Amino acid sequence: MKLRRTKLYLPGNNPNMLLRGHLFGPDGVILDLEDAVAMSEKDAARILVRDVLTRGDFGDCEVTVRINAMDTDLWRTDIETVVPCGIDGIRIPKVENPKDVALMGEALSEIESKAGIPVGKTLIFCLLETALGIWRSYEIATASKRVAAICPGGEDLRADLKTTRSENSEELIGPRRIVVLAAHAAGVDALDTVYADITNDAGLRRETEWVKQLGFQGKSVIHPNQIPIIHDVFTPTAKEIEQAKRIVEAAAEAAAKGLGAVQVDGRMVDRPVVKRAEFTLQRAGLKSGGEK
Amino acid sequence: MQTAQAGTLESMDCIVTVSESEKGRGITVSMEGASVARFGEAIVSSTKDTLKKMGVLDISVSVQDNGAGDLVLRARVEAAATRLLGGDAR
Amino acid sequence: MTINTAGRNIPDSIPGYGDVKHFEGHDKRIPEGNRYGKKNRASFNNKTDKTLPDIKAAISASGLKSGMTVSFHHHLRNGDFVVNAVMDACAEMGIRDLVLFPTALFGVHKHLTKHIKSGVIRQIQGSVNGPIGQLASEGGMEVPVVLRSHGGRPRAVTSGNIVIDVAFIAAPTSDRYGNLSGAVGKSACGSLGYAHSDAEYAECVVAITDNLAPFPASNIHIPQYFVDYVVTVESIGDPAGIVSGTTRVTRDPMRLLIARNAARLIESSQYFKDGISFQTGAGGISLAVAAYVRDAMRERGIKGSFGLGGITEFFVDMMKEGLFERLMDVQSFDLAAVKSIGENPNHIEISADWYANPWNAGCAVNMLDTVVLGATEVDRNFNANVNTEADGALLHGIGGHQDTAAGAQLTIITTPLLRGRIPCAVDSVYTVTTPGEVVDAVVTEFGVAINPRRQDLIDAAKEAGNIPLVTMDELIEKAEGLTGKMSPVETEERIIGVVEYRDGTVIDVVRQLKKK
Repeated sequence: MKLRRTKLYLPGNNPNMLLRGHLFGPDGVILDLEDAVAMSEKDAARILVRDVLTRGDFGDCEVTVRINAMDTDLWRTDIETVVPCGIDGIRIPKVENPKDVALMGEALSEIESKAGIPVGKTLIFCLLETALGIWRSYEIATASKRVAAICPGGEDLRADLKTTRSENSEELIGPRRIVVLAAHAAGVDALDTVYADITNDAGLRRETEWVKQLGFQGKSVIHPNQIPIIHDVFTPTAKEIEQAKRIVEAAAEAAAKGLGAVQVDGRMVDRPVVKRAEFTLQRAGLKSGGEK
Repeated sequence: MQTAQAGTLESMDCIVTVSESEKGRGITVSMEGASVARFGEAIVSSTKDTLKKMGVLDISVSVQDNGAGDLVLRARVEAAATRLLGGDAR
Repeated sequence: MTINTAGRNIPDSIPGYGDVKHFEGHDKRIPEGNRYGKKNRASFNNKTDKTLPDIKAAISASGLKSGMTVSFHHHLRNGDFVVNAVMDACAEMGIRDLVLFPTALFGVHKHLTKHIKSGVIRQIQGSVNGPIGQLASEGGMEVPVVLRSHGGRPRAVTSGNIVIDVAFIAAPTSDRYGNLSGAVGKSACGSLGYAHSDAEYAECVVAITDNLAPFPASNIHIPQYFVDYVVTVESIGDPAGIVSGTTRVTRDPMRLLIARNAARLIESSQYFKDGISFQTGAGGISLAVAAYVRDAMRERGIKGSFGLGGITEFFVDMMKEGLFERLMDVQSFDLAAVKSIGENPNHIEISADWYANPWNAGCAVNMLDTVVLGATEVDRNFNANVNTEADGALLHGIGGHQDTAAGAQLTIITTPLLRGRIPCAVDSVYTVTTPGEVVDAVVTEFGVAINPRRQDLIDAAKEAGNIPLVTMDELIEKAEGLTGKMSPVETEERIIGVVEYRDGTVIDVVRQLKKK
């Protein structure tokens, strides 16, 4: 599993952030061609993002590009420009139809084979920013093998739900639960939306603790200062690490002896629990993350 | 005379303004900004190189620099020239 | 010409400066002879009032003549009225060819350019910046500027290398017999640390105040037995430019990232334990480093011994919280520091001699565990430049850079790798201010480069596991990859600035810029 605790948005027409955003140590970066770029600057941003992808450096970050929505006439040029640069994935905004995801999968395959990139390499991250998109989360998450994660929207979703932001985002509890359920049913990651109040560190921490408890693997990030806080929340406690170590060791021992089930601390441990423990160690930085 | 522009004056960016030049006049580059003292030659050569690769031979370029590196300068030159050639001039 | 140990090719004699003692290593020059002493004088009870009606009267009484050396301190910073007022008076009195010997100059002193152009000021021994720096860099001064550190300057004074004819000391409070205080008065600036050696060694000392207090004044920083005359003026400075208000820790993510890297390096080192002493500047990154270190001290229950240097509210609060036992204050930066130095006996005023002079029986920087400094550029040998900008103009003083770097056990330079397109890690700095032999680490947003001679720090940082270590070569390569190759600065042969190391040797020179 790949760590996706934090995905930092980098505005697509902002050289400073495009070149230095990865230095803040997020697990991934999202070069944004959509909302962060004015309509009149889409062309210039595309050229800049292409050059940064080709000549720039993103360290160990998972590199994705948020393209323009599929109901615009921009998305095809977006993927034709950025996919040949060899990115890890694209993030599609406002997904509400599984057919669009399938269509995107085909379009990506075509570009990949032309560019000499292994077909299927470019992952898809789906932003579900409408009630319909949330309602169809499972179908969307299973519409293409490329789908790596589904993510609920924030402000757009509130608007579509005919509601407004409340202090604890109660209006998004339902959608978040649906997305988590669908994501895990489909075997993809559930990644949460951004926390917009960039100076409210305590609020960010509370919300991150809450979505972690719901079952999200991470959050999108709009300001670098949010990264250490989110990582801190997702970093396992010393007690969790100790327990995970015991489980992984016991499982390895059992496997060596050819045993199926093992007991740790007086409780039976089966395969999913071992996987969970391995993931805990990975989050703690004690085990390197393999590809999903 | 047709002109086109790309870029911003945000940190590490530049504004590149291009305008049509008569055939045979070649590429002329003027520039201003804090890095000109030490990067003037680099700015001229990257600008010309980018335009030649696009097949643009006669054009007048003005660079207002606010710390753009080579990568960003080239992207802005390409964007401005593309706008000029594509008739997307403002 | 001689190549010094910082690798600079320096003439053996410089017009307007004289014979050069070449830099040979940070602790190599051994002083000779005795300390300088001013002429003896006697005072009796027939004169109990040193006040004079105005600045011109004081200039006359002091015996100041053309060609002499006058000194000033910079505790009033950008709010100072005194330097300009004294120079205006000298100009009106027909005094010329003065050597100006300030502890530092600020933007407000651009007023002096007219006195430089008209010949009232012939030379500046001290920092130049802004328009004066530009003027000097373009060849507008007849004699080269001589730059000294906050420790090098009192060394030059106490050793008699520079003889001050008249010291004009701006005093937020004075009584009629010349007891001076920085802590009280409408223009209070806190410590008067940089003025002490001038008071002690100048042939004549004139105090200029805007608060004449009844004798004896309170909170006396400079005592009466050094002061010859007292002048009262309407105002010695603008309080808004003298002290800043509360400085908040930056939220700029790039500065925070650099600061976090620097703080982790400190926390990983052997010095991060009870008794740690610490100096940072008041700049954005420095203050953020202090904030991270403070948090780590709280978390790990560590109590420090002293905070040194320019003191800010941040350090005052750390002392109040018990994270420092004492503050040793050569310069008070903000209102809270000014208030604290006047009230708290653990907040101690120190002179520049005490702070940083290498030629005494032990200055404060020698007891420093760690210092966080800035630089305009650093190079492959860890040499740091704080004097010149990318275009080659001499725009900044040395401050305490050389002194604290030499004194501290762990000297950290924090700098963004790029300022706009200008790289801050280069093959060879344009001007060597502080030699790489006293710099231990360079911290940037692209990683932390530790000087290879400090294997102990490298090991500790690796052990900590949370510090992005890189080599200096990697930083330079990274910077060049982003910026491309720089063209060299075009200069004339003529030397317009001499950068002295704190021991009075010449570490580098600055040449006149070629006309464009």
